[in-house]
Amino acid sequence: MKGDKFYIFLFLTPAFLISGIFLYYPFFENIKLSFYKTDGFFNSTFIGFDNYIRLFNDEIARGSTLNSFELMLYVAIFQVGIALVLAIMVNSIKRGAAFYRITFFFPIVISGAAIGLLFTLIYNYRNGLLNEILINLGFERVLWLTEQSSLYMVAIPTVWNYVGFYFVIFLTAIQKIPQDYYDAAALEGITGFQKMMKITIPLILGDLKTCLVLAITGALKIFELVYIITKGGPARSSEVLGTYMYQKAFVDSAMGYGATLAVFMVVIGLTLAFITNKFIKNDKLTY
Amino acid sequence: MKSKKIGLMLFLMLVSLFLLAACSSKNSSNEQTEKKPPATEANEENGKENVELRVVTTMAGTDPAGEVFQKVLDDYMEKNQHIKIINDSQSADAGTIRTKINTDYSSNNEPELMFFFNTIDADGIINAGKVVNLEKAEGVDLSGYNSMLEQQRNKDGNIYAAPQSGFYEGLFVNKKLFEEHSIKIPTTWEEYELAIEQFAKTDIIPVAASTVDSYYVVEHYALAAGGIDHYQAKLSDQDSTWAEGLDNIAKHAKMGAFPADAATLDLAMVQDLFKQEQAAMIFEGSWFWGQLVEAGMAENVTVIPMPVYGSGGQTGEIVGGSTQGWFISTKSYEDESKREAVVDLFNYLTSEEILLEIVAATGQPPAKGKLTDLPEYIAAGHKLVADAPAVDLPINDRILPEAFTYIRESVPSIVNGTKTGEQILKEAAALE
Repeated sequence: MKGDKFYIFLFLTPAFLISGIFLYYPFFENIKLSFYKTDGFFNSTFIGFDNYIRLFNDEIARGSTLNSFELMLYVAIFQVGIALVLAIMVNSIKRGAAFYRITFFFPIVISGAAIGLLFTLIYNYRNGLLNEILINLGFERVLWLTEQSSLYMVAIPTVWNYVGFYFVIFLTAIQKIPQDYYDAAALEGITGFQKMMKITIPLILGDLKTCLVLAITGALKIFELVYIITKGGPARSSEVLGTYMYQKAFVDSAMGYGATLAVFMVVIGLTLAFITNKFIKNDKLTY
Repeated sequence: MKSKKIGLMLFLMLVSLFLLAACSSKNSSNEQTEKKPPATEANEENGKENVELRVVTTMAGTDPAGEVFQKVLDDYMEKNQHIKIINDSQSADAGTIRTKINTDYSSNNEPELMFFFNTIDADGIINAGKVVNLEKAEGVDLSGYNSMLEQQRNKDGNIYAAPQSGFYEGLFVNKKLFEEHSIKIPTTWEEYELAIEQFAKTDIIPVAASTVDSYYVVEHYALAAGGIDHYQAKLSDQDSTWAEGLDNIAKHAKMGAFPADAATLDLAMVQDLFKQEQAAMIFEGSWFWGQLVEAGMAENVTVIPMPVYGSGGQTGEIVGGSTQGWFISTKSYEDESKREAVVDLFNYLTSEEILLEIVAATGQPPAKGKLTDLPEYIAAGHKLVADAPAVDLPINDRILPEAFTYIRESVPSIVNGTKTGEQILKEAAALE
């Protein structure tokens, strides 16, 4: 046992050192930076809690937070929901499952930047794919990215991009359910829908909860799709915390305030992860 | 057995240690030795010590000067076999060059030579003493420059950057589209508004502009509303003509002046609209000619000054100047093994012959000598500068970047009526 402890310590040390240097040290530096008015390089003045006071009075930060929450909702419902439905459907077919598996998983391997560019070209008013189709069908052009629609339009590729990830998790979980359960239920005359609601979903609840936590916390990291497709616009209508933080830190050289926004994002992320974990406790299932 | 285990453990610990040591950014003596070999080994051909120099410029990406600049560097290396130059240039389009430069300088990784904005962006670097005063630097040749050199003089009285070219901004108009639609190229504010009205009735977008990346639009509308005197105001002055200019953008947006999706387009996309002849006008700078030549439409385009209607101002006043220059880092100048090569490369890049070769790619007014055999469209741009009663730098070169971003990103809110120009200026000034 003593020997085991020594090896545990030995093998964890490099990982601990690396995360310490590249993750925790920058994180604490970031917290320190949030108390300064600084461009991050040559000009730095300690201003105490001024950046935090500014954050709570910042109209744009408030809007960005609400937009991030809204996107989080779409992501949690649609990414996880669609992935679950697709996994159940693919699991129930006898032929072509491999094809669907690859098709649904495919968007995951495309970089967010490429998907962003793709959807920019799809939504473009003047020369975009959707409007070209409409024009060819004899309709007028439609402005797809308006203040009312921009967040939905960003949510579509965001959901599409990650559905495959949750789909694979669900499919693996479903395939682990022993066939005996379904056979026994079939003898009782269970229908397809009942099979899904009473056997499949309850038995993969643990995975479902994990996916929800991942989707909710992952939604705070949404950046590149918004940045490329709408640039947070029109008129900040699709600005999220990630894009606003980037703008403050790297475009405006307001590194101190950017760091404050980053701290705020971490606090929200941790709180949500805590709440989600608290609400959905995992009962370990063994087959 | 036990000793084998201990041996394995020690081996693993050493590997971890080396891995971490390899990530260190400390300028240890070991690193010096590692980097030094090229500098200490004598070159076989000329007997001089090998030197490696890193050059960071904005001549990359869509900048037509990028290719010429690389060729110029290759020629230099050909003639000076002992000098190896790493061209670490990056496009200025996305503004991230500022972060790169600041990161390099603050992490003791500065390039030997840099071609960068000698504006508010370089203040931190200059104040930290990271670049040399060129007038005091031994061997640096600053002869032959026109007035652009003097424009580089810092408020402390020193010159830290040697200019390469000047630039101007203006209204680029597609003459062909104006002719086809029998619309007069505007020379007054009324004619400009009339051109917008007339093009808005056609399938042609009057002005290719982004209201979010609205750098040039904001500047030119402020200039139009107040003339150069008001344009030169400080943000804290809350000049009413700036607010009027911002409100005019909203007015013209309602007239259909800009693309319907102007609030989500970036600069590259609006440039494309103009280059594809889907738009009749665009606010751009003299660097845009390179792209127009590549698109094969430069002959159909001319550049005119923004019509000024504000009292006290006059049409012909333009936004322009010389804001970029060559800097020598103090670190490289103080390094005995590099100084000679750095100064020599600096003098080479800023020599009249090479300077003109690079500048010719963009057609911008050179800081030394004169470009000859200019195409008509480029000559028209140079005439614009020569005839200008007044020229002043872009607004974003003299106000806090955060404040300017706030102004330009708020234009869509002025367009949709949520805010007014006056409100936006007040809120932007509060950030300073």
